Amino acid sequence: MLKDIKKQIERLKSQGATYVDARWYPFEEANYLMMWNGNLKNTSAARESGMGVRVLYKGAWGFSASSDLSDTPALFDKALDNGRVAAERVTFPVRLAEKDAIQASFESPCRINPFEVALADKVAFLKEMDEKLNQPGVFQRISEMMFMRKQIVFVDSEGSEIEKTITEVFPTIQVTGVDSEGVTFERKSRPGQQGESRGWESVDRGLFSENAVRIVKELNEVLAADECPKEDRSVILLPGIMYLQTHETIGHALELDRILGYELAYAGGSFVTLNDFGTLRYGSPKLTARADATLTNSPGSFGYDDDGVPAQDNLLIDKGILVGAINGRQMVEEANARARKQIFHGSSGANRATSFYRVPIERMTNINIDPGADGTLDDIVSKTEKGIILDGDRSWSIGSNREQFHFATEIGWLVDDGKVGKVVKNSTYKGETLKFYNSLSAVGDKSTWKVQYVDNCGKGQPNQVMQLGHGIPVCRFDNVRIGE
Amino acid sequence: MKEKILQTLTDLRKYALGKGYDVAIFYHEEDSYLMRFANSAISLNTNEHLIRINITAYEGRKRADYELITDLSKLDEMKRSVDTAAEMVKHAQPLNYDPTVPALAESFADENGYDPQLAGISNEERLDYFNKAAKGLETEDIKLSGIFSNGSNTVAHINTRSEHTQNFRTSDAQVTAVLSNSQLKWEVIAEQSAQKKSDLDPSGLHREFVFLLGRYQKDEALQLPLGSYDIVFGFAATADLLSVMNWIGFSGGSMKRGFSFIAEDQVGKKVFSDKFTLIDDPTRLETFPFKRDLTGIVRNPFPIFENGVFRSFIWFQDDADEFGAAPTGHNVPHKSLVLNGGDKAVGSIEELVKQPREKDILYIPFLHYMNIVNPSKGVITASSRFGALLLRKDGSLAVPYNVRITQSLLDLFGDKVAWMSKAQVVNNTSMSYGARNPTAVIVPRFVKVDDIEISHSNSSY
Repeated sequence: MLKDIKKQIERLKSQGATYVDARWYPFEEANYLMMWNGNLKNTSAARESGMGVRVLYKGAWGFSASSDLSDTPALFDKALDNGRVAAERVTFPVRLAEKDAIQASFESPCRINPFEVALADKVAFLKEMDEKLNQPGVFQRISEMMFMRKQIVFVDSEGSEIEKTITEVFPTIQVTGVDSEGVTFERKSRPGQQGESRGWESVDRGLFSENAVRIVKELNEVLAADECPKEDRSVILLPGIMYLQTHETIGHALELDRILGYELAYAGGSFVTLNDFGTLRYGSPKLTARADATLTNSPGSFGYDDDGVPAQDNLLIDKGILVGAINGRQMVEEANARARKQIFHGSSGANRATSFYRVPIERMTNINIDPGADGTLDDIVSKTEKGIILDGDRSWSIGSNREQFHFATEIGWLVDDGKVGKVVKNSTYKGETLKFYNSLSAVGDKSTWKVQYVDNCGKGQPNQVMQLGHGIPVCRFDNVRIGE
Repeated sequence: MKEKILQTLTDLRKYALGKGYDVAIFYHEEDSYLMRFANSAISLNTNEHLIRINITAYEGRKRADYELITDLSKLDEMKRSVDTAAEMVKHAQPLNYDPTVPALAESFADENGYDPQLAGISNEERLDYFNKAAKGLETEDIKLSGIFSNGSNTVAHINTRSEHTQNFRTSDAQVTAVLSNSQLKWEVIAEQSAQKKSDLDPSGLHREFVFLLGRYQKDEALQLPLGSYDIVFGFAATADLLSVMNWIGFSGGSMKRGFSFIAEDQVGKKVFSDKFTLIDDPTRLETFPFKRDLTGIVRNPFPIFENGVFRSFIWFQDDADEFGAAPTGHNVPHKSLVLNGGDKAVGSIEELVKQPREKDILYIPFLHYMNIVNPSKGVITASSRFGALLLRKDGSLAVPYNVRITQSLLDLFGDKVAWMSKAQVVNNTSMSYGARNPTAVIVPRFVKVDDIEISHSNSSY
């Protein structure tokens, strides 16, 4: 197959293509199990294989994909044809940022391939969790596991040839309960990074058991709790909600395709402009954020992106100042040309596709916030006069330019005069992105820093779902509206 | 092609029966094309042809699924996937209820929704449509974005309980065009759904753009004060609200699991405004309907709300099995929701603007990033997007920055509904996650709801 791919790439180059790449997936498999109130409602698996071909012709992209590889010349021809028509409407001809030709391979750390684990063992785990969650106060209990494994062979017309094997494991447990007024509340646990690898071995029974007990206890506290007050308080976001805050209002806001208007018809734009890089005070000096695809163990670490660019660790926000973006090869030259200065110096290695039949687009890697110097959670709480600790994502909604947001969380603990007080329900908060990050008044130390996974980040047309991570400490923001 | 598909399914059934398996076999084939525009260029021109085989295996109370992306020439690979599903089910755990294994009583084929001309539309025609929709409107600052997505898909299935087959074939097109100001960051949208090629009319989009640009280029944007407003929702906003209701409203399974704002004892009771009549109507071809569900139940128009009175939950087969209800023919990739029009003769944005009014009215065409804050109370939150307008009581217009509403569907469709337009619009709500599944709802062009709180108001775009 490799020989044929290279032959087709050369053929398209001879027909005027300035760049060609192919992503051949010999296999991609998925396995999803879901136990709901003791019923194994979902036992599903899937397997696919195929190839996606991307062609640059006179500065325009053509893409074609098929699971039927019996006629690869036709697949490559179709991609070129698509590029030829696209070239009839070009405003800024695509010029890819420079990169080295790379021959390499990458395998995500995995000791026990979850696809070689007996189904019975997986079901036994779910059953064990279900039994632990089956406690007074719990109305619905859900235990689920999703496994993914794929092999990708990337070949391009610039001499790169990269083979990747990626394995992912995403387990979750969740309980819901109903309060005295008939309102449903939920509490869940989705452990992120555990240990140095993310195969079946990363499913830690002990940790899940502890979390099962904890979320049942916290759910019952929420069910009996008073309503969250409607007022301004400091919000102390635990990693279980701060990861999503970061994802939505730093990660997506700093995707260069959004900033340049390539997602305006669907996902939206960004309040960030090209003039903001190097000058915009995105947050308080306590805020340092980075796109780090070099974490040893996270879905946001994949060795090489789908442009064939190696994983990198890049600053996005340095002590509150915006300094970087999330980008692939395509957007660099256009951004610099539009800004009439060199802002970006190359791809940040963040172009990824969800499957062989989707085209790579700018995607988050691991969008992390550096640990701070404000100590432990207890230290932060002790220095909070009037606040609320929030955890768990229940609902999230963000303005189309990521300029404002509304989050509902699973649980809140009021903090008054440095002490944790009662639990409240329907704990929500809202704000404007820049004002919010500039009110960042405390960042927890390494003891509070956790890597949380996102397994369902949606973007692009045709739609794509991506997996990634966020390394996040506890953060406190002041004067935030809660309870609405 | 149809014969080859059905023969393949028959061959797989024969194979499964020979092995003693109890399976349902589903076939999905799509031929998808998408031309994406951004910054007034074609940012992506893509197509994919995919065939998916899904096997659901049953063994008593146990059930397992296996899906494969394949092609019709790989019968052996498909047979192996039947074996895989049958092996998986051995290791599954029994449910505490009896899952119904589908058994089709008769064969059924429906290709009425397939227009070969729409399915086969060319790259050049897609580009021509967009060129006409935006003709003369793009400038150095005003850029065109959007998609022209079209294609065809076939859904077919068979099972080991019966030799009968079902086969559905549809063509569809979804057009979304956006004009945005790259400096000022405002954006306006025009959309179209097509089931056949003759539905396509770029001039309608062009007309709407001309009107909206006339406002957005002329008027300075303003930040609305927080407070209550009389709001007119456009069709896309209404369709989005219905899609959430589809999830946390009238699904029997959601209700039983505590994820609905409608209680079991509310059947037959008034829940919404008497202006609200919602039907799942598979006779409407524009909704890419399934006239049988995938268990073989004949689908007739199914009233969900009539004049605000809640008529019935819908029950998927599995939920019906679990909770002892009767299935309602809703094991389909999508429903065919139709929200009846009202008596207000307002058919276009121009006509809406000309309507006399005693108070300022906020027009919200589109709700962005809707999410559910509290399912039990039907509370959602979302922001306005794509061309909101403030229709002042003095007859003038203003362009507001985006606002957020956080409200219960019980309020949005309750007694606060002032009117619904007589004119209805087909809104294409298709997503392209996973297998192609053309979906559309039919809703009033405009729905006016009084006294709705704005919880946040942007000070810029």
